[in-house]
Amino acid sequence: MSFRTRLLISFGVVVLIPLLVFGLGIRSAMSRRVTGEYERRVSALVDVIRGDIARENDRSATRLAALRGSLVGDSKFRAMVLRGEDSAYVLDYASDAMRLAGLGYLQIQDDEGRVVSSGHFRNEFGRLGPAIPPGGPTLVRGTAAEGAFLALVTSDTLSVARKPFRLVGGIVVDSAFVQRLARDPELGVGLRLPRDSTAADSAALIVGDVTLPYVDAADGPGSVEQGRIVVTRSAALLTALQRNVNLWFAAAVLVAALAALLLAGWLSTRISTPVEARIAIGDLARQVNHDIKNGLAPLRNVFRHLAQVAREQPGDLPRVFTERHGTVESSINYLETLAANYAKLSPQSERKATDVNAVVRETIGGSSAVRAKLAEGLPPVSADALVLRRVIENLVSNAVDSLDGKNGTVTVTTERGKGMVRIAVSDTGRGMTKTELDRAFNDFYTTKLGGTGLGLSIVRRLVLDSNGSLSVDTEPGKGSTFIVEIPAQ
Amino acid sequence: MPARRILLIACLSVAGCAHPRVGAPGGPGGPGAPGQVEVPEDKCLLSTGSVATHTVTVTIGLTDAVDPRHAPLGRNDAERIVFRHLYETPVRIDCDGHAVPELFDQWTKDDAGRRWTFRLRDGAQFWDGAPVTAQDVVFGRGGIGYTLSAPPPAPDTRAVTVTLAKETNDVPIVLGDRSLTVTKSAPDTSWPIGTGRFWATSGTTTAQEIRAHSPQGDTIVFKFATSGDARDLLDAGVDLLVTRDRALRDYGATLQNRTVVALPWDRTYVFVSGSAEATRFDAGGLEQAVHAEARRAEGDFWWRDLRACGIARDTAPPAPTTKRILYARADQAGRELAGRLAALTHAVATGRAPDDFSAALAGGKDWGYVVALPRVTADACRSARDLLPSWPATFTALVDTRATAIVRRGVARWTVDQDGTVHLAP
Repeated sequence: MSFRTRLLISFGVVVLIPLLVFGLGIRSAMSRRVTGEYERRVSALVDVIRGDIARENDRSATRLAALRGSLVGDSKFRAMVLRGEDSAYVLDYASDAMRLAGLGYLQIQDDEGRVVSSGHFRNEFGRLGPAIPPGGPTLVRGTAAEGAFLALVTSDTLSVARKPFRLVGGIVVDSAFVQRLARDPELGVGLRLPRDSTAADSAALIVGDVTLPYVDAADGPGSVEQGRIVVTRSAALLTALQRNVNLWFAAAVLVAALAALLLAGWLSTRISTPVEARIAIGDLARQVNHDIKNGLAPLRNVFRHLAQVAREQPGDLPRVFTERHGTVESSINYLETLAANYAKLSPQSERKATDVNAVVRETIGGSSAVRAKLAEGLPPVSADALVLRRVIENLVSNAVDSLDGKNGTVTVTTERGKGMVRIAVSDTGRGMTKTELDRAFNDFYTTKLGGTGLGLSIVRRLVLDSNGSLSVDTEPGKGSTFIVEIPAQ
Repeated sequence: MPARRILLIACLSVAGCAHPRVGAPGGPGGPGAPGQVEVPEDKCLLSTGSVATHTVTVTIGLTDAVDPRHAPLGRNDAERIVFRHLYETPVRIDCDGHAVPELFDQWTKDDAGRRWTFRLRDGAQFWDGAPVTAQDVVFGRGGIGYTLSAPPPAPDTRAVTVTLAKETNDVPIVLGDRSLTVTKSAPDTSWPIGTGRFWATSGTTTAQEIRAHSPQGDTIVFKFATSGDARDLLDAGVDLLVTRDRALRDYGATLQNRTVVALPWDRTYVFVSGSAEATRFDAGGLEQAVHAEARRAEGDFWWRDLRACGIARDTAPPAPTTKRILYARADQAGRELAGRLAALTHAVATGRAPDDFSAALAGGKDWGYVVALPRVTADACRSARDLLPSWPATFTALVDTRATAIVRRGVARWTVDQDGTVHLAP
């Protein structure tokens, strides 16, 4: 991961995490604020509904009281009670009275609770009417000929000719009535009654309610249960609100993140370019150091050999010099070419027909520690001789180093393959573990004291640049074999 | 008033309501024959007091709509009254169930009462002046249990032979069935051309009234209750108003010079259901449930035995999914009874327009139907075919109802037929 990448990620994390925390905080605060506001509105609406219900109940009670007075003084009704006369008058009484009183539900019940006269359904006489609790308002599911309907009723009692009667009256609770209760346009009002499957509305959330006694008298007197007038808010509305908040929040985060990344990019460019340049120069310096050392090593060997001969056998010095003259020349050429390539900063290898055996011989020179097993009649390979030499030098150097100064052998073998020439550099050194092998080709990985860790990575790069391949066969304690395959020309 | 005039009017009244009597076997008879009028029975005449003067214009109030396209088979009380004055059947069935002359005024019987020969009355003609022939009566008509034909080989244009499946000594009342009303279509008017004494055309028909005229210059004005309150008709001075509304009846009773006359029980409400469970409403207070004058249904109902009609009722409709009772929306008593039944059975009552109600009854997909049937009928098979469903049904008679006639005293003589229709006495 490059320095620039690390810088960008760090900067992004440093900017985005506070931004996210800030945004979530705002969102949470908004949610609390909105919820609190809703709860206040719901509470106010519930109070209004309670007030409306109480007012309607008072009105109905007032009208029933007026009817009670009228009924007590009605001689025809009294005659019916005492003598059963003119039952048609009684049957029609509640119908007329209900209309005059402005009610939508009216029953006159006898002491058994049977309907003596019904305003909303004349022909339900004789049935048991709803047994509603005295006092406050009650929701009643009553019946008419055309079906059931809901009413908000109250009751009153009276006595005619010493016979007790009960008046049950009120108003019809229909959709218009419920609509009138809903004063807040963003809050709905509905009914939730026992066994009323039609009231289920999954799209609305119940946020408040007013409970009332409820009697289902559609199929008989019924019993007192509990009904609810509920305040709802649309789940769809809330979902839409949350979606909008989330959308805007995500947009804000994205914009902030983009701005942060752009800023980070600009800053990283300003900061990282000199650093990376210094790193690159360091890499180059290590590379140059390594290559020069490789070029100087043969010269130092030749020079030490000549010094030894001059000291011990001065007479042989001309002969030995002549023998080692080639090695000196070759190393100097190598260094000159190396210098020329570095001078270009981007050295371009020059591929041409190259004799592998010649390069091997030239590289290992007269080293007594390295043995060569070179196959005869190898085809030339398409490679830069200098590149090939650098490869072999690096591999031989590593192989010698792996002996750790102990007795062992380093062997360079060449052989002909199928359409290629194989060069194997084997040693009987300490070999590599799997972990070491996995990291052996990484830059700057080394097990040698004072090593640069660039040798094998350079070898691999050079082999690949020559369209060749590099493989390793190694075993800890037994040695390693690096195999280079270069395409034949 | 001169005594002679009163006597003359009384005699005419008696003659008008006389029952036909079968003549001697093998010979012509009937009250239409001059010199053979028997002592009349005037029990079908409405008792409204003596007719003091001859009135050339009579006004009848109508509380229902009248559609000429329904002629000659009336669907409500108003149409029945109007059509009764405009159109004629071969004979008329009086309130006692006896045949009295109308288009036919003489008849003889043969083959022990299995074959009857009727003669058209002299001068019988359509409104356009064309004489009524036997073919006009016979063509396209007939029913279960009888056939109509003109006697071969040389058809007498004035004689019609009725052959019965079962012999009878009385004049077959099937000839009084409204389906045998003689009419012909008129291309320039919505009213079919009839043979009655009074005629009407689209030119005499408005949204407010129908004017029917006779060749003698008499006029009947049928007035509609356009204000929506039938009491306005009484206040406007109509001579006859037939109603089933007790409130209207009570109002009529408070007016001077008006007589309130209860008409025969003419309609029976029946609960028709395909439900297998026996449905009885004996203690249901059904008579109290309706505003019309009602009593517990009684009698030997014509729909109980229809085996002779050969109507197969073997395809049961599918069982209803909801407990719903249907009624014809325009029928107030039907609506009230359906409501009462709904209260007793925890069902739901639903009204339908008349045509929709008939279609629903024919389909039989609902739990029950409140149907108004005529208490008596001249042709039970025809009534069964027209009014009853063709699926296996249970018929539970609920109540009988009847209408009330509110009549101005001393203006005209009114009589009532077996089907409860009031009309001017002939």
